[in-house]
Amino acid sequence: MASFELVEPTNLEDAFALLDDDDPAVRPFGGGTALMLMMKAQLFKPVRLVSLRRLGQRFDGITLSQDASSFRIGAMTTFSQLEHSPEIGAYLPIITQTMKTLANVRVRNVATVGGNLAHGDPHLDLPPVWMTLGAEALIVNKSGKRLVPIADLYAGYYETTLAQGDLIAELHVPVRPAWRSFYAKVTTRAEHDWPALGIAVSVQAEGRYVKDVSIVLSAAVDKPTRLVAAEDLLRGATIDEQVLRRAGEAAVAEVHIETDNRGSAAYKKHLLSVHLGRAIQTVMGE
Amino acid sequence: MVAVTSSPNIGKSIDRLEAREKVTGRVEYVHHLRLPGMLYGKIFRSTVPHARIKSVDISAAQALEGVYQVVTIDDIRKVIPHPYYGPAFHDQPILADGKVRFAGEPVAVVLATDKRIAEEAVGLITAEYEDLPGVFDEVDAMTSETLVHDVLKPAATFPDLQHLKGRSGTNVALDYHLLHGDPDAGFAASDHIFEHTFRTQQVMHTPMEPFVSVADAQEGRVTLHTASQGPSFVRIEIARLLGLPENRVRVVVPHLGGGFGGKLYIKLEALVTALSMVAQRPVKISLTMEEQFYMVTRHPCTFKIKSGVTKEGKILARHCEIVWNGGAYADIGPRVTQKAGFTSAGPYDIENVSIDSYAVYTNRPPCGALRGFGAPQTAWAYECHTDMIADALGFDKIEFRRQNLLREGRPQASGTLMRDAALDQVLDHIVDRMNWSVPLNKGTGRIRRGRGIAIGFKGITAPTTSVAIVNMYGDGSCGLYIGTVDMGQGSDTVMAQIAAEVLNIDAASIRVIHPDTDVTPYDMGTLGSRSTFHMGTAVRLAAEEAKAKIAALAVELGMPEGSNVPLAELFRRKYGMQAGNIIGTGSFIPAYEKPDTKTGQSTKATPFWGVGAAGAEVEIDTETGHIKVTKLVNVADVGTAINPKMVQQQLSGAGIMQLGFTLTENMVFRDGQLTNGSLADYKIPNLLDMPREFINEYVESRQKDGPFGAKGAGESTTIALSPAIGNAVADAIGIHLTDLPITPESIFRALQEANGTPLAGD
Repeated sequence: MASFELVEPTNLEDAFALLDDDDPAVRPFGGGTALMLMMKAQLFKPVRLVSLRRLGQRFDGITLSQDASSFRIGAMTTFSQLEHSPEIGAYLPIITQTMKTLANVRVRNVATVGGNLAHGDPHLDLPPVWMTLGAEALIVNKSGKRLVPIADLYAGYYETTLAQGDLIAELHVPVRPAWRSFYAKVTTRAEHDWPALGIAVSVQAEGRYVKDVSIVLSAAVDKPTRLVAAEDLLRGATIDEQVLRRAGEAAVAEVHIETDNRGSAAYKKHLLSVHLGRAIQTVMGE
Repeated sequence: MVAVTSSPNIGKSIDRLEAREKVTGRVEYVHHLRLPGMLYGKIFRSTVPHARIKSVDISAAQALEGVYQVVTIDDIRKVIPHPYYGPAFHDQPILADGKVRFAGEPVAVVLATDKRIAEEAVGLITAEYEDLPGVFDEVDAMTSETLVHDVLKPAATFPDLQHLKGRSGTNVALDYHLLHGDPDAGFAASDHIFEHTFRTQQVMHTPMEPFVSVADAQEGRVTLHTASQGPSFVRIEIARLLGLPENRVRVVVPHLGGGFGGKLYIKLEALVTALSMVAQRPVKISLTMEEQFYMVTRHPCTFKIKSGVTKEGKILARHCEIVWNGGAYADIGPRVTQKAGFTSAGPYDIENVSIDSYAVYTNRPPCGALRGFGAPQTAWAYECHTDMIADALGFDKIEFRRQNLLREGRPQASGTLMRDAALDQVLDHIVDRMNWSVPLNKGTGRIRRGRGIAIGFKGITAPTTSVAIVNMYGDGSCGLYIGTVDMGQGSDTVMAQIAAEVLNIDAASIRVIHPDTDVTPYDMGTLGSRSTFHMGTAVRLAAEEAKAKIAALAVELGMPEGSNVPLAELFRRKYGMQAGNIIGTGSFIPAYEKPDTKTGQSTKATPFWGVGAAGAEVEIDTETGHIKVTKLVNVADVGTAINPKMVQQQLSGAGIMQLGFTLTENMVFRDGQLTNGSLADYKIPNLLDMPREFINEYVESRQKDGPFGAKGAGESTTIALSPAIGNAVADAIGIHLTDLPITPESIFRALQEANGTPLAGD
């Protein structure tokens, strides 16, 4: 690892100025857990790293709106802060559940919500979860700000729609009392591993009847992907084994899955059909 | 469990001598070492598996500020004219010499005062290759026209490999044969014949401390500080390379963070020595965790096993054909081929046995010794095969084994008699701990359960020598000088216990002097479960000699026989002050007879037998193939457990390691390229993979010629674990898997195949 400049601006103007450079080796970073691995592997050789940890204000903190209808989560919030937040536990239990198998304590103490979203690795656990919750990211740059649905952050494998100079400042997550969510992290080698598939589901149900549903697949695809055909099949349906099987088939048909060291394409497609059904059963309270 | 003896030192779980230093972070490791003027080396590696090197462009790297020198084989040849090394064959060039033979092979080294600069400079080196066809599979390599080496170069280092001759036109480095009885007649007389083929995958040692070596070459001598399991061997091989006498090469080894057979023989030592000679400065190379995949690994193998069985369940004949994939350089593979070969028919009393075991070269990273020395790969075949026969003929799996087990005094396939091998006791203990007499609820829904057992054994590398020195100082305190490397197994403590028992002193008061070839005497290496038996005996002899000399000194000073005057007082009376030493030495080499090269027969093929058995219960989700080992029992014969707590840690550690080799660890290659060379993608087991019930025990037994009845314990629980799990899987789903690792996908594929709905290839 060659030497580089590390700066910690304390206000946004300075941060934008430091990042105002076409060189892709000038980068912002949150916790740095992913970036450090890329640097050690010499996949990324920074010239200047701009830490966002001293920006404060909107980059920090977890706040629930007064009417308890949404969360504002600062981009520099660490996973540990999410994991141990009583409000998150009460209103977004899927986040607390996901943290149990996400990386390890040392990583969770350092990794940040914003850095995780900006990394673009399709194997990450949280992006599909934020997607199924209907979350949006507040992006700021020197000329303004915009709200972007999480799904629209991703363009492909390790590819985001963020431009040089864009910073993820906040995450806005709606609280939807009528919905229940679950994240299935499917590993195929050791128990603790990167997922072969990540399946995040949210369902608004009345008994066995599905009023609305959102399904996101990650890890087996090049970016977190809504399974629209499977959703269409389930929306308005009463859940039974046959419906779940058809939803599994629809899911397999609508995505392109490649073979990798976590499993052949054929096997991962099979796992998708099985675990999608199980995830739906889990949220429906089976 | 063995009853605690009345001895003050033997059978006592005393704490590790270095425990406090370790937990307070003060233990010495080579990684901490910095010498004045030291340069850091970083390796530029081949990106292709088999090619002629057309050119290597080092100019940009050389021009980078802070780079001291970029070194290729041409520079090394100036200081070492014949830069080839290896324990069994002198086949490995210190840096690639005209050709590369595996992807990841060292081609050049950047030396710099800062390791980050060295790393950056490596990224500026480019090489042009003329690709050659590669051979990667061991069975292909037997007949392939692609040759990894044009001429084979046996080293003639070991007495048991001295018959090897240089050959050409083949990838077979060594072929080992054993013939016992008349297999043709045995098969002809059998009622049933079974033949199965098993495969194991390539895996890696993954020590927590990656390879690291420092060399300081000066005019006519060299000092090495290295994380090595075999300092004596390093000295001999470096002295040979440099044409120096042994006393001009000093090898110093502090504690190791694990070795498992990887840090044996020559690894980075030849390279750092050459670099230090070229640069005339001390040189250090520390591998990253990821680079370890290109240093040494465990042999994949293909094992075809055929048995003839009578209708009553007696195994009459067995033929074993094993091909070991040794990778691009032989390392100790030929010895693995021979040593694991001779026990590959399993711990059974079979009158007619033939074994053909082949070490072959391929264009993969080299393979060498790894905890078990090939025995785990062979047991995977012969113990799954045992259950497959029992299943086919409706035999009880325990009784079928008992009926055929080798017993005390019976000849093993090599002709060597079984002595002090507690096979029956170990099997009985497993049966008991598995509650085998109580039927298992196997389930009827999507979760199916099964259980399996297996038993295995291994011979111990022979012949090998250990020498120990006990030095009693002027105040009566004791220093123990041994070449055994404590890499976490606790040898310092056990050796101190043995010396303390003889000298009747407190083990914790003994200072164990770590390997330094200027100071400590010869030892073959800390390998193959040999230290407790070999070095333990040498330590016992050295302590006995010191004790006799102390008694003689007392007599010389006119003390009455049996007087208890302390040694410090004896010294004071003899020398008039606190002065002097009493030195006891002990040297041990067990009896050995070289096996006949055609029939493998020997009356003394091994100094003792390593024995282990395992039992497993598994749960399988038949919808996904997901497997969970819910119970795992390891039972070993360790003779007397000198330190019961550390023995148990050895047994469980070896078991966990083998659990990884059974279920999760697999070096995956595509066209000779490793595709998962990092711990993010090469999965060693962690706590979540541990069985809910995990039992590690040893049986009451005694190795009569071992120190206080002890034998080695480091490998016993690696042997039978994989087939125990394989047999449990078969019990759960009715299908015997033949290839390791057993993965959810391999289980699911087998289920689909059996259902007549095979899963697509990808």
